Amino acid sequence: MSPSFRPDRGAELDVRVARYGLRVAARLAEQTENLPHDVLERLRVAREQAIERTRSARKATRSEAAPSVVVVASGSLALAGGPGEGSAWFKFAGWVPILLLLAGLLLIQDRYQREQVEAAAEIDAALLADDLPPSAYSDPGFSEFLKLPIGTAD
Amino acid sequence: MASDKELSDFLKSVEKRAFKRTAYAVRDDDAALDIVQDAMIRLAEKYIDRPAAELPLLFQRILSNATMDWFRRQKVRRAVLHNFSDFEVPDGDGDFDVLETLELLDDARGTESAADSVSRAQMLQLIDVEVAQLPARQREAFLLRYWEELDVAETAAVMGCSEGSVKTHCSRAVHALAKALRAKGISP
Repeated sequence: MSPSFRPDRGAELDVRVARYGLRVAARLAEQTENLPHDVLERLRVAREQAIERTRSARKATRSEAAPSVVVVASGSLALAGGPGEGSAWFKFAGWVPILLLLAGLLLIQDRYQREQVEAAAEIDAALLADDLPPSAYSDPGFSEFLKLPIGTAD
Repeated sequence: MASDKELSDFLKSVEKRAFKRTAYAVRDDDAALDIVQDAMIRLAEKYIDRPAAELPLLFQRILSNATMDWFRRQKVRRAVLHNFSDFEVPDGDGDFDVLETLELLDDARGTESAADSVSRAQMLQLIDVEVAQLPARQREAFLLRYWEELDVAETAAVMGCSEGSVKTHCSRAVHALAKALRAKGISP
């Protein structure tokens, strides 16, 4: 630090600079009050346009936020959700293929079981409609008779 | 969030200074009006959700950026036109055109009506001219600090430089103005 440097002198200089700057700025402001009429008009129009844009932007934001009724081609009505519901619909749409796959598997299983039941019913019906009584199949003698070669039973 | 009235009042309070500040930079009133309009619309469209207290700093930043955009476009245009013309438009950064100053003086004097206000108006005009002659960065710092009354940190944020640079620019601007105005016998 220079021995001749005085901190209070630096601060005083800053204050003087600021004071002079503010005085010049005040004169500029004074002069700005006398801007030409056409400039003032253009500034007014620019300001009004900006405000109008703000209003329309706010309206657009509000209409996006509120749920709206959408007329579908068939003439029925559907509710379109607000901005938060859009993502919920996307999540739901992501689950649709999985749900369809599960429903398909259940249908296949149901069809397979029904075929098995029908096959069993056919066998039961054939047994009951036959001349031979079903109790004969549990008779050990009849089982032995079935094992004998044809023509030796007599 | 600033209401329509708050935004309107703010723009009304700042529009004249914004125009003058931009006109100093671009030296073209029509271009300055376009830039101010562009800045107002950008503020209104993109920052409507900001509180009213943030508007001054935001607007100064937007205005500075819009002015820089204008200079970039002019630079491109000049680069294209340079091949077809020997005339060069003076750059806004520090150069001063005497003819433009005389034009400004003539324009201002044309609006005078009362004889006793002529000398005062001339003084204001000379101050205006001296401010216009400052190098661009010094003028920007000076106007933001003392006219827009931003503090050093806010001015640095708008100008995209350090606080030390802002202080240096302001000090140099004030010294240059004081010297030039004293030489013309003007005390603001």
